Amino acid sequence: MFKYADAGGAIDGRYLFAKPIASEWVSLPAGTFMTCDNQAAPQSSNDSSGVYDWSWFPKGMANIASLPALVLLSAFVGFGGLAREADIPLSQLVFIIPSIWALPSHLVLVAGISVGASLLTVALGVAFAAIRMLPMTMALIPEIRTPRSRLWHLLAVCNLVAITAWVHTLQKAPEIPREGRLPYFAGFASTMAVATTTVAALVHQLSAAFPPILMAALYFMTPLYFATSIWNTARIRAEHWALVLGFVLGPFAWMVAPQANILLAGLGGGIIAYGARRLVMARGAD
Amino acid sequence: MFYDSFDAWWWPFVFIFLAGTLPTAIWRWLGVLLVGNIDDESEWLVFIRCIATGLVAAVIAQFVFFPTGALADAPLWLRLAAALTGFACFLVAGRRMIVGVITGEAVLLAGFLVVVS
Repeated sequence: MFKYADAGGAIDGRYLFAKPIASEWVSLPAGTFMTCDNQAAPQSSNDSSGVYDWSWFPKGMANIASLPALVLLSAFVGFGGLAREADIPLSQLVFIIPSIWALPSHLVLVAGISVGASLLTVALGVAFAAIRMLPMTMALIPEIRTPRSRLWHLLAVCNLVAITAWVHTLQKAPEIPREGRLPYFAGFASTMAVATTTVAALVHQLSAAFPPILMAALYFMTPLYFATSIWNTARIRAEHWALVLGFVLGPFAWMVAPQANILLAGLGGGIIAYGARRLVMARGAD
Repeated sequence: MFYDSFDAWWWPFVFIFLAGTLPTAIWRWLGVLLVGNIDDESEWLVFIRCIATGLVAAVIAQFVFFPTGALADAPLWLRLAAALTGFACFLVAGRRMIVGVITGEAVLLAGFLVVVS
Protein backbone atom coordinates (compact mmCIF):
# COMPACT_ATOMS: atom_id res chain seq x y z
CA MET A 1 0.00 0.00 0.00
CA PHE A 2 0.98 3.63 0.11
CA LYS A 3 3.95 4.36 2.28
CA TYR A 4 2.66 7.86 2.85
CA ALA A 5 -0.12 6.22 4.83
CA ASP A 6 2.43 5.68 7.57
CA ALA A 7 2.46 9.37 8.29
CA GLY A 8 -1.30 9.27 8.68
CA GLY A 9 -1.08 7.15 11.79
CA ALA A 10 1.62 9.14 13.39
CA ILE A 11 1.18 10.95 16.64
CA ASP A 12 4.73 10.73 17.69
CA GLY A 13 6.80 12.69 20.14
CA ARG A 14 9.69 12.73 17.72
CA TYR A 15 7.87 15.29 15.61
CA LEU A 16 8.16 17.72 18.47
CA PHE A 17 11.80 18.29 17.72
CA ALA A 18 10.63 20.63 14.98
CA LYS A 19 9.66 23.13 17.67
CA PRO A 20 13.04 24.65 18.52
CA ILE A 21 13.39 25.68 14.88
CA ALA A 22 10.04 27.43 14.97
CA SER A 23 10.84 29.25 18.19
CA GLU A 24 14.12 30.42 16.73
CA TRP A 25 12.19 32.02 13.93
CA VAL A 26 9.84 33.57 16.42
CA SER A 27 12.79 35.21 18.16
CA LEU A 28 13.93 37.03 15.04
CA PRO A 29 14.79 40.68 15.66
CA ALA A 30 12.00 43.21 15.92
CA GLY A 31 11.09 44.60 12.55
CA THR A 32 11.33 41.25 10.85
CA PHE A 33 7.60 40.94 11.18
CA MET A 34 6.84 44.22 9.53
CA THR A 35 4.91 43.38 6.44
CA CYS A 36 5.04 45.04 3.09
CA ASP A 37 1.88 46.86 4.05
CA ASN A 38 3.90 49.23 6.20
CA GLN A 39 5.93 50.33 3.23
CA ALA A 40 2.91 50.73 1.01
CA ALA A 41 0.85 52.55 3.61
CA PRO A 42 1.65 56.14 2.63
CA GLN A 43 0.34 55.46 -0.85
CA SER A 44 -3.30 55.26 -1.81
CA SER A 45 -4.47 52.00 -0.31
CA ASN A 46 -6.91 51.13 -3.08
CA ASP A 47 -4.58 51.85 -5.93
CA SER A 48 -3.12 48.50 -6.79
CA SER A 49 -2.68 49.30 -10.48
CA GLY A 50 0.93 49.18 -11.46
CA VAL A 51 1.98 46.99 -8.54
CA TYR A 52 2.18 44.02 -10.89
CA ASP A 53 2.70 43.57 -14.59
CA TRP A 54 -0.12 41.18 -15.47
CA SER A 55 1.17 40.62 -18.97
CA TRP A 56 3.35 37.98 -17.28
CA PHE A 57 0.28 36.00 -16.20
CA PRO A 58 -0.35 34.52 -19.68
CA LYS A 59 3.40 33.94 -20.03
CA GLY A 60 3.18 31.79 -16.90
CA MET A 61 0.12 30.04 -18.30
CA ALA A 62 2.04 29.21 -21.49
CA ASN A 63 4.18 26.81 -19.46
CA ILE A 64 1.37 24.29 -19.80
CA ALA A 65 3.42 23.11 -22.80
CA SER A 66 6.68 22.40 -20.99
CA LEU A 67 8.60 19.60 -19.36
CA PRO A 68 7.55 20.49 -15.79
CA ALA A 69 3.90 20.56 -16.85
CA LEU A 70 4.20 17.19 -18.57
CA VAL A 71 5.78 15.66 -15.47
CA LEU A 72 3.18 17.10 -13.12
CA LEU A 73 0.29 15.98 -15.35
CA SER A 74 1.81 12.48 -15.37
CA ALA A 75 1.88 12.43 -11.60
CA PHE A 76 -1.81 13.37 -11.49
CA VAL A 77 -2.70 10.63 -13.95
CA GLY A 78 -1.43 8.35 -11.20
CA PHE A 79 -3.33 10.22 -8.50
CA GLY A 80 -6.61 10.01 -10.45
CA GLY A 81 -6.25 6.23 -10.59
CA LEU A 82 -5.34 6.07 -6.91
CA ALA A 83 -8.40 8.10 -5.91
CA ARG A 84 -10.65 5.81 -7.92
CA GLU A 85 -9.16 2.73 -6.23
CA ALA A 86 -9.84 4.41 -2.87
CA ASP A 87 -13.51 5.00 -3.88
CA ILE A 88 -13.23 8.78 -3.69
CA PRO A 89 -16.16 10.21 -5.71
CA LEU A 90 -15.41 12.52 -8.63
CA SER A 91 -16.86 15.62 -6.93
CA GLN A 92 -14.55 15.16 -3.95
CA LEU A 93 -11.53 14.50 -6.16
CA VAL A 94 -12.18 17.76 -7.98
CA PHE A 95 -12.29 19.52 -4.59
CA ILE A 96 -9.25 17.75 -3.12
CA ILE A 97 -6.74 18.61 -5.85
CA PRO A 98 -6.85 22.42 -6.10
CA SER A 99 -7.91 23.10 -2.50
CA ILE A 100 -4.88 21.27 -1.08
CA TRP A 101 -2.50 21.59 -4.04
CA ALA A 102 0.39 19.48 -2.72
CA LEU A 103 0.79 15.91 -3.94
CA PRO A 104 2.23 14.39 -0.73
CA SER A 105 -0.71 15.90 1.21
CA HIS A 106 -3.11 14.46 -1.39
CA LEU A 107 -1.57 11.02 -0.93
CA VAL A 108 -1.71 11.14 2.87
CA LEU A 109 -5.33 12.33 2.83
CA VAL A 110 -6.54 9.66 0.41
CA ALA A 111 -4.62 6.94 2.22
CA GLY A 112 -6.09 8.14 5.53
CA ILE A 113 -9.63 8.11 4.14
CA SER A 114 -9.21 4.64 2.63
CA VAL A 115 -8.04 3.12 5.93
CA GLY A 116 -10.79 4.93 7.88
CA ALA A 117 -8.47 7.04 10.05
CA SER A 118 -9.93 9.75 12.29
CA LEU A 119 -10.00 13.41 11.25
CA LEU A 120 -7.35 14.37 13.79
CA THR A 121 -5.02 11.56 12.71
CA VAL A 122 -5.32 12.45 9.03
CA ALA A 123 -4.92 16.17 9.74
CA LEU A 124 -1.72 15.54 11.73
CA GLY A 125 -0.36 13.27 9.00
CA VAL A 126 -1.07 15.89 6.33
CA ALA A 127 0.42 18.65 8.49
CA PHE A 128 3.68 16.74 8.93
CA ALA A 129 3.80 15.87 5.23
CA ALA A 130 3.35 19.56 4.37
CA ILE A 131 5.92 21.17 6.68
CA ARG A 132 8.20 21.83 3.71
CA MET A 133 5.63 24.45 2.59
CA LEU A 134 6.92 26.77 5.34
CA PRO A 135 10.53 27.13 4.12
CA MET A 136 9.42 26.87 0.49
CA THR A 137 7.04 29.81 0.89
CA MET A 138 9.64 31.78 2.84
CA ALA A 139 12.12 31.24 0.00
CA LEU A 140 9.67 32.21 -2.75
CA ILE A 141 7.98 35.29 -1.30
CA PRO A 142 11.07 37.57 -1.28
CA GLU A 143 11.56 36.66 -4.95
CA ILE A 144 8.05 37.48 -6.15
CA ARG A 145 6.89 40.38 -4.00
CA THR A 146 7.34 44.01 -4.93
CA PRO A 147 7.82 46.88 -2.49
CA ARG A 148 4.12 47.67 -3.02
CA SER A 149 2.81 44.14 -2.51
CA ARG A 150 0.11 43.97 0.14
CA LEU A 151 0.07 41.22 2.74
CA TRP A 152 -3.22 39.84 1.42
CA HIS A 153 -1.78 39.49 -2.09
CA LEU A 154 0.90 37.22 -0.68
CA LEU A 155 -1.50 35.29 1.59
CA ALA A 156 -3.65 34.63 -1.46
CA VAL A 157 -0.94 33.63 -3.90
CA CYS A 158 0.95 31.45 -1.39
CA ASN A 159 -1.87 28.90 -1.60
CA LEU A 160 -0.47 27.97 -5.00
CA VAL A 161 2.99 27.10 -3.62
CA ALA A 162 3.93 23.52 -4.51
CA ILE A 163 7.19 22.03 -5.71
CA THR A 164 6.80 22.26 -9.50
CA ALA A 165 5.74 25.89 -9.91
CA TRP A 166 7.92 26.90 -6.97
CA VAL A 167 11.16 25.54 -8.41
CA HIS A 168 10.32 26.77 -11.90
CA THR A 169 9.57 30.31 -10.70
CA LEU A 170 12.71 30.45 -8.53
CA GLN A 171 14.69 29.44 -11.61
CA LYS A 172 13.05 32.00 -13.93
CA ALA A 173 12.75 34.89 -11.45
CA PRO A 174 16.08 36.55 -12.30
CA GLU A 175 14.95 36.88 -15.95
CA ILE A 176 11.58 38.41 -15.05
CA PRO A 177 11.05 42.03 -13.94
CA ARG A 178 9.98 42.10 -10.30
CA GLU A 179 6.46 43.32 -11.16
CA GLY A 180 5.95 40.31 -13.41
CA ARG A 181 7.06 37.56 -11.05
CA LEU A 182 3.94 37.14 -8.92
CA PRO A 183 1.67 37.15 -12.00
CA TYR A 184 3.99 34.69 -13.75
CA PHE A 185 3.95 32.33 -10.77
CA ALA A 186 0.17 32.66 -10.34
CA GLY A 187 -0.42 32.10 -14.06
CA PHE A 188 1.67 28.94 -14.17
CA ALA A 189 0.47 27.45 -10.87
CA SER A 190 -3.24 28.16 -11.39
CA THR A 191 -3.15 26.78 -14.93
CA MET A 192 -1.46 23.64 -13.65
CA ALA A 193 -4.06 23.30 -10.88
CA VAL A 194 -6.87 23.39 -13.45
CA ALA A 195 -5.06 21.09 -15.89
CA THR A 196 -4.06 18.47 -13.31
CA THR A 197 -7.57 18.44 -11.83
CA THR A 198 -9.01 17.89 -15.31
CA VAL A 199 -6.57 15.10 -16.11
CA ALA A 200 -7.11 13.34 -12.77
CA ALA A 201 -10.91 13.63 -13.23
CA LEU A 202 -10.68 12.08 -16.71
CA VAL A 203 -8.55 9.20 -15.43
CA HIS A 204 -10.96 8.74 -12.52
CA GLN A 205 -13.80 8.29 -15.00
CA LEU A 206 -11.94 5.85 -17.25
CA SER A 207 -13.10 2.32 -16.75
CA ALA A 208 -9.93 0.58 -17.92
CA ALA A 209 -6.88 0.63 -15.69
CA PHE A 210 -3.52 1.63 -17.11
CA PRO A 211 -0.86 -1.10 -17.47
CA PRO A 212 1.47 -1.13 -14.43
CA ILE A 213 4.57 -0.40 -16.50
CA LEU A 214 3.00 2.83 -17.78
CA MET A 215 1.94 3.88 -14.29
CA ALA A 216 5.43 3.16 -12.97
CA ALA A 217 7.01 5.23 -15.75
CA LEU A 218 4.62 8.16 -15.20
CA TYR A 219 5.21 8.05 -11.46
CA PHE A 220 8.99 7.91 -11.87
CA MET A 221 9.10 11.17 -13.85
CA THR A 222 8.39 13.12 -10.67
CA PRO A 223 11.59 12.29 -8.73
CA LEU A 224 13.73 12.66 -11.88
CA TYR A 225 12.24 16.06 -12.61
CA PHE A 226 12.37 17.31 -9.00
CA ALA A 227 16.02 16.31 -8.61
CA THR A 228 17.24 17.84 -11.87
CA SER A 229 15.19 21.04 -11.66
CA ILE A 230 16.17 21.74 -8.08
CA TRP A 231 19.81 21.13 -8.96
CA ASN A 232 19.53 23.74 -11.71
CA THR A 233 17.70 26.23 -9.50
CA ALA A 234 20.24 26.16 -6.68
CA ARG A 235 22.24 29.38 -6.50
CA ILE A 236 24.80 28.34 -3.94
CA ARG A 237 26.70 25.13 -3.36
CA ALA A 238 25.03 24.45 -0.02
CA GLU A 239 21.73 23.86 -1.82
CA HIS A 240 23.39 21.13 -3.89
CA TRP A 241 24.72 19.59 -0.69
CA ALA A 242 21.24 19.78 0.86
CA LEU A 243 19.76 18.00 -2.15
CA VAL A 244 22.30 15.16 -1.99
CA LEU A 245 22.16 14.86 1.81
CA GLY A 246 18.35 14.93 2.01
CA PHE A 247 18.23 12.12 -0.56
CA VAL A 248 20.96 9.99 1.04
CA LEU A 249 19.55 10.45 4.55
CA GLY A 250 16.05 9.45 3.39
CA PRO A 251 16.38 5.67 3.81
CA PHE A 252 18.44 6.01 7.00
CA ALA A 253 15.85 8.31 8.55
CA TRP A 254 13.24 5.71 7.65
CA MET A 255 15.13 3.12 9.71
CA VAL A 256 15.18 5.49 12.69
CA ALA A 257 11.68 6.96 12.42
CA PRO A 258 9.60 5.50 9.57
CA GLN A 259 6.73 7.86 10.31
CA ALA A 260 8.79 11.02 10.30
CA ASN A 261 11.51 10.08 7.82
CA ILE A 262 10.91 12.94 5.37
CA LEU A 263 10.99 15.52 8.14
CA LEU A 264 14.07 13.98 9.75
CA ALA A 265 16.05 13.53 6.53
CA GLY A 266 15.01 16.90 5.14
CA LEU A 267 15.83 18.93 8.26
CA GLY A 268 19.01 16.90 8.81
CA GLY A 269 20.18 17.34 5.23
CA GLY A 270 19.36 21.04 5.17
CA ILE A 271 20.99 21.80 8.53
CA ILE A 272 24.16 19.82 7.75
CA ALA A 273 24.45 21.49 4.33
CA TYR A 274 24.06 24.93 5.89
CA GLY A 275 26.54 24.05 8.62
CA ALA A 276 29.04 22.99 5.96
CA ARG A 277 28.53 26.33 4.23
CA ARG A 278 29.35 28.19 7.44
CA LEU A 279 32.46 26.06 7.93
CA VAL A 280 33.64 26.77 4.40
CA MET A 281 32.87 30.48 4.80
CA ALA A 282 34.76 30.58 8.09
CA ARG A 283 37.80 29.26 6.27
CA GLY A 284 37.31 31.88 3.61
CA ALA A 285 37.20 29.35 0.81
CA ASP A 286 33.74 30.12 -0.59
CA MET B 1 -14.80 12.22 13.85
CA PHE B 2 -14.36 10.19 10.72
CA TYR B 3 -14.80 10.49 6.97
CA ASP B 4 -18.08 8.58 7.18
CA SER B 5 -19.28 10.06 10.51
CA PHE B 6 -22.22 11.95 8.99
CA ASP B 7 -24.44 10.82 6.17
CA ALA B 8 -24.69 14.28 4.62
CA TRP B 9 -23.43 15.28 1.16
CA TRP B 10 -21.40 18.15 2.59
CA TRP B 11 -19.59 16.24 5.34
CA PRO B 12 -16.84 14.69 3.15
CA PHE B 13 -16.00 18.18 1.88
CA VAL B 14 -15.77 19.52 5.43
CA PHE B 15 -13.62 16.52 6.35
CA ILE B 16 -11.31 17.13 3.36
CA PHE B 17 -11.05 20.82 4.23
CA LEU B 18 -10.23 20.22 7.91
CA ALA B 19 -7.99 17.18 7.43
CA GLY B 20 -6.30 18.14 4.14
CA THR B 21 -6.64 21.77 3.07
CA LEU B 22 -6.13 23.52 6.39
CA PRO B 23 -3.11 21.50 7.64
CA THR B 24 -1.34 22.14 4.30
CA ALA B 25 -2.27 25.82 3.84
CA ILE B 26 -1.36 26.79 7.40
CA TRP B 27 2.36 26.32 6.66
CA ARG B 28 2.16 28.58 3.61
CA TRP B 29 0.36 31.32 5.56
CA LEU B 30 2.88 30.98 8.38
CA GLY B 31 5.66 31.25 5.78
CA VAL B 32 4.25 34.54 4.45
CA LEU B 33 3.88 35.94 7.98
CA LEU B 34 7.32 34.83 9.18
CA VAL B 35 9.28 35.97 6.15
CA GLY B 36 8.27 39.57 6.92
CA ASN B 37 10.85 41.96 5.58
CA ILE B 38 13.76 39.55 5.44
CA ASP B 39 16.24 40.87 2.94
CA ASP B 40 16.56 39.00 -0.36
CA GLU B 41 20.25 38.41 0.21
CA SER B 42 19.98 37.62 3.92
CA GLU B 43 21.84 34.66 5.35
CA TRP B 44 18.56 33.60 6.96
CA LEU B 45 17.10 33.01 3.53
CA VAL B 46 20.08 30.85 2.57
CA PHE B 47 19.40 28.71 5.63
CA ILE B 48 15.69 28.52 4.79
CA ARG B 49 16.48 27.53 1.20
CA CYS B 50 18.77 24.77 2.45
CA ILE B 51 15.98 23.41 4.67
CA ALA B 52 13.44 23.62 1.83
CA THR B 53 15.83 21.86 -0.55
CA GLY B 54 16.61 19.17 2.03
CA LEU B 55 12.90 18.51 2.59
CA VAL B 56 12.20 18.25 -1.14
CA ALA B 57 15.19 15.91 -1.49
CA ALA B 58 13.68 13.71 1.21
CA VAL B 59 10.43 13.63 -0.81
CA ILE B 60 12.50 12.54 -3.85
CA ALA B 61 14.09 9.78 -1.74
CA GLN B 62 10.58 8.67 -0.76
CA PHE B 63 9.69 8.19 -4.44
CA VAL B 64 12.84 6.16 -5.09
CA PHE B 65 13.19 4.13 -1.88
CA PHE B 66 9.58 3.78 -0.70
CA PRO B 67 7.31 4.24 -3.70
CA THR B 68 3.60 3.48 -3.84
CA GLY B 69 1.55 1.78 -6.52
CA ALA B 70 3.02 0.26 -9.68
CA LEU B 71 6.52 1.66 -9.16
CA ALA B 72 6.84 -0.58 -6.09
CA ASP B 73 6.77 -3.55 -8.50
CA ALA B 74 10.22 -2.55 -9.72
CA PRO B 75 13.02 -3.73 -7.39
CA LEU B 76 14.90 -1.16 -5.33
CA TRP B 77 18.17 -1.65 -7.23
CA LEU B 78 16.39 -0.85 -10.50
CA ARG B 79 14.76 2.31 -9.15
CA LEU B 80 18.06 3.43 -7.70
CA ALA B 81 20.01 2.58 -10.87
CA ALA B 82 17.47 4.44 -13.01
CA ALA B 83 17.53 7.51 -10.77
CA LEU B 84 21.32 7.65 -10.53
CA THR B 85 21.81 7.02 -14.27
CA GLY B 86 19.30 9.72 -15.13
CA PHE B 87 20.95 12.20 -12.78
CA ALA B 88 24.46 11.36 -14.02
CA CYS B 89 23.39 11.80 -17.66
CA PHE B 90 21.74 15.11 -16.71
CA LEU B 91 25.04 16.37 -15.25
CA VAL B 92 27.14 15.07 -18.15
CA ALA B 93 24.79 16.60 -20.73
CA GLY B 94 25.32 20.09 -19.34
CA ARG B 95 22.46 20.02 -16.81
CA ARG B 96 19.72 19.45 -19.36
CA MET B 97 16.67 18.19 -17.46
CA ILE B 98 15.09 16.50 -20.46
CA VAL B 99 18.20 14.29 -20.83
CA GLY B 100 17.98 13.23 -17.18
CA VAL B 101 14.28 12.43 -17.40
CA ILE B 102 14.58 10.46 -20.65
CA THR B 103 17.63 8.38 -19.69
CA GLY B 104 16.25 7.68 -16.22
CA GLU B 105 12.94 6.55 -17.73
CA ALA B 106 14.75 4.44 -20.35
CA VAL B 107 16.70 2.52 -17.68
CA LEU B 108 13.55 2.02 -15.61
CA LEU B 109 11.47 0.81 -18.57
CA ALA B 110 14.20 -1.51 -19.87
CA GLY B 111 14.71 -3.00 -16.42
CA PHE B 112 10.97 -3.25 -15.85
CA LEU B 113 10.51 -5.20 -19.08
CA VAL B 114 13.35 -7.60 -18.25
CA VAL B 115 12.81 -8.08 -14.53
CA VAL B 116 9.10 -7.65 -13.86
CA SER B 117 7.35 -8.63 -17.07
